[in-house]
Order: sequence, then structure tokens, then C-alpha cells
Amino acid sequence: MARLVLRGVKKRFKTTDVLHGIDLEIGDREFVVFVGPSGCGKSTLLRLIAGLDPITEGEFFLNEQRMNDVAPSKRGIAMVFQSYALYPHMDVYENMAFGARLMGLDKTEVEARIAEASRMLRLDELLKRKPRELSGGQRQRVAIGRALVRKPEVFLLDEPLSNLDAALRSDVRLEIARLHRSIGGTMIYVTHDQVEAMTLADRIVVMNLGRIEQVGSPRELYETPANTFVATFIGSPKMALIDVIRQGDRVGIADGGSIGLSNMPDAGDRLKIGLRPDALTISPDMDSEGFSASVVYTEYLGDNAYAYARLADGTLISVRTPPTSSMNRMRPCGCRSSSQRHISFPPKMVGD
Amino acid sequence: MARLRLTGRGMWITALIVPPLAFVALFIVYPIISAFAYAFYDWQGLLRGDFVWFDNFHKVLFVEPYASWTRNAFTHNIMVFFALMVLQNGVGFLLAYALWRELPGARFHRIAVFLPVVLSTIIVGYLWKLFLHPLFGVVNQSARAIGLPWLAQPWLGQDSTALWALIFANAWHMVGFPTLVFLAGMQRIPTEILDAVRMETQSEWVKIRKIVWPLVAPSATVVFVLLFVGAFNWFELPYIMAGLDGSPYGSTDVLGLYFYRTAFGNVSSGQQDFGLGSALAVLIFVFIAAVASVITVRLRAREIQV
Repeated sequence: MARLVLRGVKKRFKTTDVLHGIDLEIGDREFVVFVGPSGCGKSTLLRLIAGLDPITEGEFFLNEQRMNDVAPSKRGIAMVFQSYALYPHMDVYENMAFGARLMGLDKTEVEARIAEASRMLRLDELLKRKPRELSGGQRQRVAIGRALVRKPEVFLLDEPLSNLDAALRSDVRLEIARLHRSIGGTMIYVTHDQVEAMTLADRIVVMNLGRIEQVGSPRELYETPANTFVATFIGSPKMALIDVIRQGDRVGIADGGSIGLSNMPDAGDRLKIGLRPDALTISPDMDSEGFSASVVYTEYLGDNAYAYARLADGTLISVRTPPTSSMNRMRPCGCRSSSQRHISFPPKMVGD
Repeated sequence: MARLRLTGRGMWITALIVPPLAFVALFIVYPIISAFAYAFYDWQGLLRGDFVWFDNFHKVLFVEPYASWTRNAFTHNIMVFFALMVLQNGVGFLLAYALWRELPGARFHRIAVFLPVVLSTIIVGYLWKLFLHPLFGVVNQSARAIGLPWLAQPWLGQDSTALWALIFANAWHMVGFPTLVFLAGMQRIPTEILDAVRMETQSEWVKIRKIVWPLVAPSATVVFVLLFVGAFNWFELPYIMAGLDGSPYGSTDVLGLYFYRTAFGNVSSGQQDFGLGSALAVLIFVFIAAVASVITVRLRAREIQV
């Protein structure tokens, strides 16, 4: 059982407020991802949970126990660091045994745990190697192994994939997901990459400027973002936000055409709507239906292609196009709604 | 065929390299080689006598009274080395650790610890000679003032304490150097490794012994080797504080003083013997070079494991 509760947690470095009151509950065996742009406080929050930095204000409970003043090594929490932080003078076996021995486990237990972890992470061949003799991916596995042998209640992972090359990244991502299923501990994972967050998380915590913007499953965040920050942060390419004027069930841009949208909320005439790349189509022929636009850039990705186009009011939108289509740059074109999927943002949902 | 043309770049390189090379050759290499040669001759004052093979070496090592003088001085050098290993390098490591952990006042102490190192040994020697003066020295005065009269000793005047007083003065003077080198080594340890240790233990002792100490191995190599060389070349401080005879009664005599006395004579006796002196110098040189190489190789191997 591992249940984490954060109540009004604040962090201040000298006079700079980094976290402005975080309230969060994390359940047993949950895989939670903290995601947000650099400097949003996600790593700081992780360090507070680990105990590496003291909490300025507020409380942190692990299984109903107040942890604010408990030393990091006594919290039953293990952490995997961004740079792996392996001990360079110890071989792989020693790296994993060090923490286990310090927990006061006897020799056979330490050996058994290392054997189990190295089997799970395919480290058997590497036990006698020093960290500098390992590749990035191998070091990553050792760092995870070192956390595993301590059998912690909570695993913290601080941007564990950021030092790996792209090809390895998705492999290790799968491995972490598999690991979470098989060992079943509570995992908290910090990343700035929304793809990692979407693929791994049971729940995502989106953070910005020291605050939590929204907590929810990947699907909730994608389909019902709480505000424009979450809406544009989740999803790639990002959602286009367009300031429109509503006339009946049509929304338009001044001198830029209009599109028809059903199920509009009754929230005044001027509003912001969000359209994801798959909600629009783009075509070279201009007619009365649709926004007028001009393509500024195209991206070909093999199974998909994206066209980036500028609307009459200067808003840059992205549109998914069939990979076979060829859109010419700088040519005027029309932009229509292909599905009725859109999100409208009344002023109170417009974040920064 | 590549020829070094004395134009442009080649000329610059030559112009910059030749003067220092000439200097080293003239004032370091030539004296060492000539000392090697002198050691095999019998000398009458400045007059070179017969080639006597290993007679001079034999004398300083096995013939009395030279043999016991050599033994006495050598023993003292060994004591100095081990004492400074603890008082200078050991204390330096602890000071570095305290500075590195940013204990209160770390900023001030970082400078305070290193300040004596920049003082010349001559100044430090005279300073401590005054401090340790039996009657008006600050050490004895304060010992009496705080009610510890047994601490008021003629530190430099009795054979049981004189060498220790010198060792202490040297440690005070130079402790900032190993401190600085260790501190630099500690600051190179990545913070994430230290965070990783904190996740596994809260014991400072485990942290020092298992993580910090092995990771500052390169710094340890540097300060160990330099201390070894320094301890067996020790000359200035005992010369200033105890005099050329290693007074009282040779209780502070070390190889450096003994060699100087033998080769160039002494105020009281005036005898000088280049042959014996050179033999001593050669022996000291060979001993230091050999042992320092072994220490370096051994300690480097420890580093490579890192």
C-alpha cells in the first residue's frame, strides 16, 4: 500500500516562490506523470516528495504518516535520476548492493534481490562492469535496478529518458510500462515530453508556473482540457486557438471566412475555439465555406502529413492532411471543419 | 622531408622553448648530474682528489659517526612524513569536507585556511619561533593565562617536543593546500550522485567512506606524493626554527639539514666535504624518486578503478 497525499505544499527558494500550494492525492499502484514546460516546478515537487529539498509550507503524507521531517533514506522511496547518478567507482553489482546493504538486509537477501532485478532488467552479463563501460540504455537499466532492489513503496523517476537517443527512448518507455505492471509499485514520473506522459500515465498532472493546471487521465486531458494551457500543451502538433465571432451556429473571423459548428455553448458572441489538426481539412480551392488561409509550411511524416497555415487574422493553425496530398507553400487555400470536434473556451478558461 | 624552418610559427616555438630549457638544463639538470659525479671523488675543500668509487656512499651509510647521524635524520624525516600525513592531509580532508558542506562561516574559513599558505616559509618560521618563545611567546603566555601552566613548555628547547613543534608549525602553514585540492575534488562530484546517496543513507560516515573518499582519489594522489617529496626534502622550517645542527642535540635533525651541514660546513665546525655531501644528496634524490614513483603508480591504479 502506498498512498501519497500533498496538502497545500509550497516551496520557496530564498525569495522566489517555486510552488504555490500543491494539493494532490496519488493512489496505490498508480502511475502518475508530472508534465509541464521547463521551470514549471515538476522536478522540484518530485524532490520534495523524495525529501531531497525541505518543504517550505504545507504537508506531505505517505500512508497517513507525515513525512515532512523524515530523512530521504527513511521514506521508503527510491529515485531514478536524470543522469542515472550511478556510483562511478562501483561495478553494477555493487551499485545495486550498496543501498540494499544499508537497509540492513542480510547477505542472502541482498543477493536474491539483485538476482531478481538483474533478471528482470537483463543485467546478468553486466554485473561486473563499471558504469563507464556501459551504454546509456544499460546505465538507465542499472539505475532502475538500483531502485528496484530496495523494494520501495514509491518509485520516483526524474526525466529518465531525456539522455537516451530517440530510437532507444521508445524501447525503454515500453520497458518502464512493463515494469510497472509486473512490480506494481506506485510510480511518479517527471517529464516535459507530453508523448511520454500520454503513453505511460494512468493519470497526468499538468503543471505550469508552480501550479497544477489539471489532473486527469490522458484521454480526459485530450478531450476535455480544463483551460487553454492544457489544451495546447497536450497533443502534437498543438491545438490551434482561434478568436472567433459567433453568428448562430457559424463562427467567423473578420474578413476571413467562417465555418459551421454545431453544439456551441451559449457563452456570448466573442469566444475562443480550439481546433486540433484532425478537426480540419485544407484544400486549394476557395469557396464561401471555410476560413481563408495560406499555407506557410508542410511536414511529411510518412503515415501522415501536416500543413501549417496562417488565417486572415494571423493565427497559425496546423491541419492534418493525407500524406499523398501536396500542398504548395504560400498559396491561398480554404480551411473547413471536417468533424464537429472542437473545444470552445469561454474567457474564464483562457489561461496564460 | 619535414624540416623545421626558422620562420613564423617554428621560430616562435623555438624562441619560447629554448630559454626555459636552457635555464632548466643549467640550474637543475647540470647540478644534479655534477652532484652524481662529485659523489665518487675524494674532496679536499674545493680541490677534487681521487676517484674513490663508492667510498663516500659507504661512509655515510655504514661508517660511524656518519651512519648514526644518517639514521637519526632519516628517522626524523619518516616521523615528519607520517605526522604531517595526519595533521596536514588528514586535517585538510576534514576541513575540505566541512567547507564543502557549507557549514556556517564557510566563506570566511575558506580564505582563512588558505591564507597561511601564501606566506613565505621564512616568515612562518620566525613567526612561530616568536609564538613559541618560552618566556614571552604567545603560546606559553596564553597557556598560563587560561590556567594550564603545564602547557607552558620550552617547546623548541627540549628534545622531546622540538620536532613536534616544527611539525605543528608546518601543518599550520600548509594545511590550506591539501584542503584546497580536496575541496576542488569534492566540488567535482556530480550533485545527482550525492542526492542518490542521500536516498540510501543519512550517515555522513558512510557517505565519506564509501562515496566521497573514493571519488576524490585523484586529489589524494596529488597531495600524498607532494607531501612525501616535501617531507623528505624538509629544510627551510627546521633551518629557521631549529638551526643547522637540528638543535637541541640533533632532535630536529633531518636529511636536508644534515646534507647541507656535511657539504657546506657549519658555523661551529667549518668542515666541509663535497664528496660525502654529494653522496647524501644522491641517496636522498634516488630514495625520493624511487618511492614517489611507486606511490604514484599505486595511487594511480586506485584512481583508474574509479
